[in-house]
Order: sequence, then structure tokens, then C-alpha cells
Amino acid sequence: MSTGLSPQVPTGAPPRPGPRRVRALVDRVDRRFLPVVGTLVTLVVMLGVGQQRYSTARSDFLSMRLLSNLLLDNSYLLVLAVGMTFVVLAGGIDLSVGAVVALVGLVTAKLFTAGAPLPVVLVLGVLIGTCCGLIIGVMVQVFDIQPFIASLAVMFLARGLANVVSTNSLKIDDPGFSALASWSLKFGEGRESWRVNASMLVAVGVLLLAVYVLHYTRFGRTVYGLGAGDRGVAVELMGLRPARTRIGVYVVSGTCAGVAGILFALYTKSGFNLTGIGMELDAIAAVVIGGTLLSGGVGFVLGTGAGVLVYGLIQVLIVREGLDSWWTRVFIGAVLLAFVVLQKVIAGRRR
Amino acid sequence: MNASARGTNPVTLFQRVSQHGLLWPVLALVVLLLACGLKSPGFLDVATRDGNLYGQLVDLLRNSATPLLLALGMCLVIATGGIDLSVGAVMAISLAVSLTHLDGVADPSAPGAVATAVVTGLALGVLIGAFNGFMVTALGIQPFIATMILMVAGRGIAMLITKGQITTVTSPPFKAIGSGFVLGVPVPVVVAGAVFVLLALAVRRTALGMFLEAVGTNREASRLAGVGARSTTWVVYVLAGLLAALAGIVYGAPTMAADANNIGLLKELDAIMVVVLGGTRLDGGRFHLGGLVVGALLLSTLERAVIVFELPSQTTPLFKALVLIAVCVAASPALRSLVRARPPRARRPVPVEVAA
Repeated sequence: MSTGLSPQVPTGAPPRPGPRRVRALVDRVDRRFLPVVGTLVTLVVMLGVGQQRYSTARSDFLSMRLLSNLLLDNSYLLVLAVGMTFVVLAGGIDLSVGAVVALVGLVTAKLFTAGAPLPVVLVLGVLIGTCCGLIIGVMVQVFDIQPFIASLAVMFLARGLANVVSTNSLKIDDPGFSALASWSLKFGEGRESWRVNASMLVAVGVLLLAVYVLHYTRFGRTVYGLGAGDRGVAVELMGLRPARTRIGVYVVSGTCAGVAGILFALYTKSGFNLTGIGMELDAIAAVVIGGTLLSGGVGFVLGTGAGVLVYGLIQVLIVREGLDSWWTRVFIGAVLLAFVVLQKVIAGRRR
Repeated sequence: MNASARGTNPVTLFQRVSQHGLLWPVLALVVLLLACGLKSPGFLDVATRDGNLYGQLVDLLRNSATPLLLALGMCLVIATGGIDLSVGAVMAISLAVSLTHLDGVADPSAPGAVATAVVTGLALGVLIGAFNGFMVTALGIQPFIATMILMVAGRGIAMLITKGQITTVTSPPFKAIGSGFVLGVPVPVVVAGAVFVLLALAVRRTALGMFLEAVGTNREASRLAGVGARSTTWVVYVLAGLLAALAGIVYGAPTMAADANNIGLLKELDAIMVVVLGGTRLDGGRFHLGGLVVGALLLSTLERAVIVFELPSQTTPLFKALVLIAVCVAASPALRSLVRARPPRARRPVPVEVAA
């Protein structure tokens, strides 16, 4: 795929003279990988700092335990960010996902109190997300409403519906659901013990499925094509289906939000109408940190996975450092800033 | 179509009205107000008490001030093809700074202290706007992501300023900025009205408006044509930051409490909604300031109507969503061409005047 080389308006400016050796090195790496390389370097640096500062004689900071805790705490975010990657790659944005998470959590809790069986609840929960995504997709594709506004409307819709369902926190005490939430495989002993639970399996499964879909299917190619910035003309000329795909990415994102809603319910064992405020921004931030350009067309879903890990590590490091929780937002803003500037530097060099 | 309709004036008038972007928002506003008036008979009454205006309609105006202030800045930014997501966080920061300043002063009621507090808050808004403008113009980062950085970090910064507390101060002059009256009119309404008039004059009586639209339509072409695209864009972000800071002070002054977590939460989305309801498309290049007044009034009327109709106030987002979807779909070219295309095709199967 050559979507990394998005069409650039010739400015007539002479190429910037840079140190030849640096340029040669940069030229050797495929430019599409550069943002992701930045993400991985950040990840390694953060892990290194953590290892240096927080390792004790009895246990290393860098361990399976750390990785499993990161995945445990951020599985819902990983699923959200994977869905968001589809939308962003296609040149859109989905602001509704946080509200959908809240709605799905509440409906799940409500259905359990109404006595619905576990499989029905899970499927319905995911379908709610799918429907929300479908509404956005239809508004964007058929009525030509900007993704920003369409998803904003659905965000308000989902938030309002969640408030209609309940404004109180609903506890989920269905035995099947509780068993699912507490199921886990344990490895290791004592301080080195780590585990794998259902949420992590689902999240990693979604990530791998997304890698397959984006890089090995016609749908995936069309998604990249849509992000090229010509309103899908090239995709249309290639005989692919831009209209269907544009609706499709929002359906994917909505479905992921539905799954994430259930994962979040598993994580908290409750539904609450105020969950997920700002979660869409966390997801977008993870996508950006993961090296996907917000203008669309460039990026990898595996990078998003690394972005989520960076995001989670920031929180871990701040807790270990003993800083107040509001520093998290400031640090995430700073990391976001660094990555955006990095992307810009790379894009500038591309000319 | 125009040529055939020129002879009959009512038809052109009807066409102009029916095609006007503000038709649906204005209709929605009137219907909502009438419905509220029917449901609660005193709703449309305005009384004077101690020479000050009181009544539900006055409250509506007062509640519209914050979204209008935010939307004015947002609209100018959107006109240049950008967006400013940081305004909600800026509201929190400016209020936090103002109240923290008042908290540290010996006499929080002194006019000088209040003036410094307000100016400090506004100055910070300008600073943040300048930062956003720098990101967008000098670094060339997409506005969405450039302003998202402060949307994420801004609330954390406000928490740092208040040290994680909800700073509360007692200062009657400061409180009056949000809840006082000037010649019987609530101060926020006066502030918003004055800003609106100033901006409208600046945009329509000077070349600024034309520059904005030129930059929003085609940045590169406008630069080649001699428009200072960079400085124009920069000015717009600074204005948006300044207005957001002002909105934060006006909005938070009545409570006198800097709650960094909740002041201005999701207000940026309200502001964008007001802009869209006001008939401005998010693409940039064209904008209507007048529509913002309608949009802001519609937003606060909607919020009030939910309460008047005794619905739980938490359902407000649901109705916001319905109005937003309805207005967008009604204004979308797809629906218009669908509605317009049908009747003529049925009557005139062979269109001769294809050249038009």
C-alpha cells in the first residue's frame, strides 16, 4: 500500500538541505513506519525509566505482571481505540464511543435485573453499539453531515438514553456475569504472578482481527483508500465501494464501543450513566500516540495497541511517582503534543 | 428557476425564506417557546422588580450568554476551517486563576482586586489562544488535534492551579459579573450583547470577515492573494481563547467556586452545536454571526423546556441530539435535492432548459 505517500501540493520550495547521513538513515526506513517507530521508542524509554526507578531487589518493574496489569486495566480502551483506528484511517472521527460505553453498561445491568439470560444480554449490548455506529455512518454517508457533528449527535443521543435508563449506578450481580468477570488463568508465583482474564483475551482478539481486516482484506484496503483525501474518488475508480465502507467503519467503531461497554461492565461490575465522559478523547489520544495520522490514510492498528500501552504506562508511572491524579491529564497532553510535533517533523521531511 | 419566478414576488419571498439556513432553527425556537408558554402560562411574562427585569424569558437570555460567547469565538475559528476544542478547559482555567487570585488577596471585595482577577483570567485565555494559534499556524498541525491537547491537559492544569481543591471565595463585586444587573438587564446578557456587536462590526465593517472567509475557503489561494492567512488564523484563535476565558468568568461568577473538574465540561460541544444550529457549516469559508444568537437561544430554551415539561433534566442530551439530527438532516443537500427534484420531474418529463 502506498497510501503513506499522500498527495502533496507542490510548493515549489527547494528540498531542505539536511545532514546527509541522517537523511540516508531515515530514507532507509519505510516512511510509513516512522510514526510507529516513535511510539515504540517512547514505549521502550518509558519502560526503561520505570525499570531504573521502580525495580527492587525482589522484583523487576519490567515483568509479565506489569504487562498483564496494563492489559487488565486498559482492555476496554484497547477495543475502543482499535475501532477508532478504522474511523480515523478513513478520515473521519467518532466522538460517540464514550457515551455508548455508558449506555451499553447501563442496558446490560438493566437487562440482568429484568432476568435476561447472559448470551442475550451480551449480544444485545454489542448490537446497541453497532446501531449507534450505523446511525453515524448513515448520517455521514447519506446526508453528508460532517463526522464530527454526526458522532456528536449520537453522543448526545446515547448519553440521553443512558440517563433515561437510569441515573443511579446499577450493580450487576448476575452469577454468570460475575463468573465471567472473575475467571482468569494464573501464571507464576508470589510477586511475579500474572494472569490472563476474559477481557484481555477479547481485547487482544479484537486487535488481531483488526490487523487481519485492515491489512489483508478488500475492506481494509478501501478504508486506507478513503483516507487518501480525495473524498473516495480513487477508491471508486478502483471499483471498490466507498459508500459501503464509509458506513462500515462507523459500524466497526460502534461495535467495538459495544464490546468495550461490556468489558467496562465486566471491569466495574456495574453500569453508571457518568462513565465514559472523555473516554472518546482517551481513545483518540491512543490512536494518535500510536502513530495514525488524524488526516487519515496513514497508520497501523498495531501502533494503536502500542499507543494504549503508552497511555496506560503514563498512569502507572504517575502512581508510582506518587503524583496527584490530575498530573495524568497534563502528562497525556504533553505526550500528545510531543507526538503531534513528531508527526509534523516526519511529514515535513517527506516533502 | 429564478427567471420564471421573478414576476411573482410572493413566490421568490417564499423561496428565499424556505431556503434560508435559519428557517428550521427559528421555527424550532418559536415552537418550543410557544409550547412552553402553553404548558406553563406564566412562561412568556416579563416583570420588573426593583427596576430589574425578571422572568423565565430573562433567565433564558442569561443562560444563552455563555454558549453565545463560546460560539462567537468558535464560529470565527470554524470560518477559517478550524475548530477549537479547548474552550471548555479554558473556561475552567480562567475561573480557577481568577478565584485563586481573589483567594490570595487581603480584601477580595476591593474593585482593584476583582479587576486584576478578571484581567489575569482573560490574559491566560489570550495566552492559551496564542498557543493554539501557534500550533495551527506555525507548526501546521490540524486544528482538531492541536486544540485537543489543551482540552485533555487543560483541566489538569486548572486542577494544578486550584491544588485539587474547589476554591471558594466571597466577593460581591466578582459575583455581580454573573448575577448582577445593568439598567435592569442581567450583566451576562449585556456582556454577550456587547461582544456580539463588537465582533459583528469588526467582521462586517472591516475586511476581517472577508479575510476569514478567504482563509477558510482556500488557505493557499488567499495567501497568494495577499491575505495574511497566518496572522488572521492566529488572531481568531486568540479571540476564541479570550472569549472562552470571559465565558468562564461570567458562567462561574455566581457560584464563586472554581470546580476545575466540572466548570465548562462538554461546553465546547455545546458551542459547536450552537454554531451548527446557527446555519454555519463546519467546512469553513462561510459563517453567520446572527445565526449564533438563534442557536444559543434554541439551546438554552431546549434545556429550559425539558424542565418546564417536567421531564428529568438528565434527559436533556437526548433532546439536544434529536434537534441536532433534525436540523442537520433538514439542512443537508441530500434531503433538499430529494425534495426539490421530485415535483418538476413529474410535471415536466422533458426539461428543455437544461442549459441553466
